[in-house]
Amino acid sequence: MKRKEAGTIYKALVCCRAGMGSSMLLKIKADQVISENNYPIETEHGNLDSLMYFKGDLVITMEDLAKELKDQVPYSIGIRNIVDKKEMKEKLEAFLASKEAK
Amino acid sequence: MLKDLTNEKLIRLNIDAKDWEDAVRKSAQPLIDEGYCKQTYVDSMIDGVKELGPYIVLTPHVALPHARAESGALKTGIGIATLSKPVEFGNKDNDPVKYLFCLSATDNTKHLSALAELAGLFEDSAFFDMLDHAENAEEIIRYLSK
Repeated sequence: MKRKEAGTIYKALVCCRAGMGSSMLLKIKADQVISENNYPIETEHGNLDSLMYFKGDLVITMEDLAKELKDQVPYSIGIRNIVDKKEMKEKLEAFLASKEAK
Repeated sequence: MLKDLTNEKLIRLNIDAKDWEDAVRKSAQPLIDEGYCKQTYVDSMIDGVKELGPYIVLTPHVALPHARAESGALKTGIGIATLSKPVEFGNKDNDPVKYLFCLSATDNTKHLSALAELAGLFEDSAFFDMLDHAENAEEIIRYLSK
């Protein structure tokens, strides 16, 4: 894959099964961490159906779902504790690092 | 606001639950009784966990049971429940669960500010301390109205 040019904003889908509960909370937390750290990531939110149409770079979900989705999406992050900003930060940074490496 | 989506009738304190499914059913029952959702919606909360794992357990000791609106949500509302004895959901990071926030949502915008507020409360140890010691639903509503 070609290295993304500077200024690229990665697109993340934050999803859960229903698209209403966990994913909304996850999006709130992800957006907090992204803005605090100025990560070049933009989030949208949806349910499992949205995945079929999702053409972005990253899926953020709860850990149990992340395992299910692993083979269907370019990169997935599974969050264990929604309140833990450190976990979110580490996992987003690992994603960004994986992009840098390519 | 969270206080606009919940009320004393949707709160159950110190529920006796034999397992996670019982805990979800008993915590969500007020949502059915008060006309916020149909039985099918609660069944769908349970099926979701059986199919996809305990992804509704969001942070240590806290679950947010919910399902898709089309499963039978009638009104947007949030039930609050505590268990007398915590139960295992099979989520090794966050078990056992003691607090359940059952969400009935008819679309994904009406409850957004309430969820943002809930996300804040999940970081607030005073909130859980209050839940542990509350003797009635009124105390919880009073805390949320502060």
